[in-house]
Amino acid sequence: MFRNTREGLALALPAAIFSTLLFLVPVGILLSEAFRGTTGGWSLQGYIDFFSTPLNRTVFLRTLKLGVLVAGTAAVIGYAAAFCIVNLGPKSRGKVFGMVVLPLMISPVARTYAWIVILGRTGIVNEAITGLGLSDTPLRLLFTETAVFLGLLQLFLPLMIISLVSAMENIPRDVIPAARVLGASWFAVFFKVILPLTKEGLVIGGTLVFTGALTAYITPAILGGSKVLMLETLLYQRVNVSNDFVSASVIAMILIVMSFSANLLLKRIATARS
Amino acid sequence: MNTSMRHLANWSILGLTLTFLIGPFLIIILAGASDTEYLAFPPQGLTFKWYLKVFTVESFRASFLLSMALAVFGTLAALLLGVPAAYALNRYDLPMAETVRTIVAAPIIVPGIIVGLALLRYMVVPTGVTVTLALFMAHTALVLPYAVRVVSSSMTNLRADMEEAAVLLGCTRLQAFTKVVLPNIRGGVLAAFILGFVTSFNQVPVSLFLSGPGVRTLPIDMLAYMEITFDPSVAALSALLAFMSLAIVFTAERLLGFSRYV
Repeated sequence: MFRNTREGLALALPAAIFSTLLFLVPVGILLSEAFRGTTGGWSLQGYIDFFSTPLNRTVFLRTLKLGVLVAGTAAVIGYAAAFCIVNLGPKSRGKVFGMVVLPLMISPVARTYAWIVILGRTGIVNEAITGLGLSDTPLRLLFTETAVFLGLLQLFLPLMIISLVSAMENIPRDVIPAARVLGASWFAVFFKVILPLTKEGLVIGGTLVFTGALTAYITPAILGGSKVLMLETLLYQRVNVSNDFVSASVIAMILIVMSFSANLLLKRIATARS
Repeated sequence: MNTSMRHLANWSILGLTLTFLIGPFLIIILAGASDTEYLAFPPQGLTFKWYLKVFTVESFRASFLLSMALAVFGTLAALLLGVPAAYALNRYDLPMAETVRTIVAAPIIVPGIIVGLALLRYMVVPTGVTVTLALFMAHTALVLPYAVRVVSSSMTNLRADMEEAAVLLGCTRLQAFTKVVLPNIRGGVLAAFILGFVTSFNQVPVSLFLSGPGVRTLPIDMLAYMEITFDPSVAALSALLAFMSLAIVFTAERLLGFSRYV
């Protein structure tokens, strides 16, 4: 440690000032916009107006629902996959882990576009359905909540698996066999041994996936369109179509509050269990 | 359950998960090669014409160059700000270290679309700076948290007494940094560059509102193209971009064990 504080600040401050000017200040002004009453002064009218529109309420609840569903499903698949990965030999473990991480490096546009190929009118699922004679006309699979759900799950599942794998790697090797020998069922092993020991990973993974799903733009834009609006796509519409910056500011605040509360709630749950 | 059964169960779960994660890429590679005027899978006939067409679309060329420039220069700028910050946070007993850390990490937490909108409303419109400059600064700020985090973690294992020894032996502080610290964190800096490059290049929400006539990043351009055309060229371009990312990550992994840093 060097003691010269002035020198240290001179090195650290440019980054902090840059972030403050480019992020905190503009975002702060944007967030304050919804609190500004029409007559000057402060008011909550923007929020009241926003939530009194049925469409906005639907979009808000849908975003919350999809976020919870995606995070929950990712946790279930994530535990199964992470458990299998840590049980692999060191060589195949690295390879499989690499294959889980790889999709994160690829453009989300490319990753989402694949679902158009799968779910589109002339896509693989519809070809199979009409080919098997299950339906005469192609089904509408795109622009549904299911399509958005699948797209988001594929986009964020790697984050959950990564978090859970690194949490599981820290479980002492003999704990699970010991619990089994002592007569615990797999059910009990999971809830009494694995879950308590990996809850930090679950909290990190859960926050990343939930927040990711809330704030994803591309997936709901491509797979949901204007039929299945989520908060992000609604915000874009409000600004670009109706020039409504108050709504945009309300949505921005909701997104930030939701992300932070998800993190706090998961942390609370994690500490309550122990 | 005996071992071979467990083995089988293990690999079927992994197989299903990996199919879900990676299968879609194989599908777009093939869909981009379909000899049809519309998107089809399984592909009907095989052709490279869509893969070639991607290179002839003027707007793709322009937006690819813009995205490249943003990713390279934005990441370099982020490193220029981030490396000294990471160094200071590790080596100095700063009074507001936690505050600095939080401020620098903020861009990860705030949804990108809000940042883009805020910059458009309160920087581009009032000050009249160009959209390109705003994009450059937004991408720099976006990459900054990664730069600080990755460089920091590569610095924690580097003991401070090596620098002190260099100073005692007659180096100036700057020389001690360039001759002792920098060579030791080279891997971390390179890893931060690659992570920053990929993050910036693939970034959509921040750039969504920051586009103007003729100024669009590649992902935004692809979104716009998708809305008017249904031919397989976007699938082909998606596949090409996936290959580019994979090539970068593989090279990085081979050269410096990239995954250690991320």
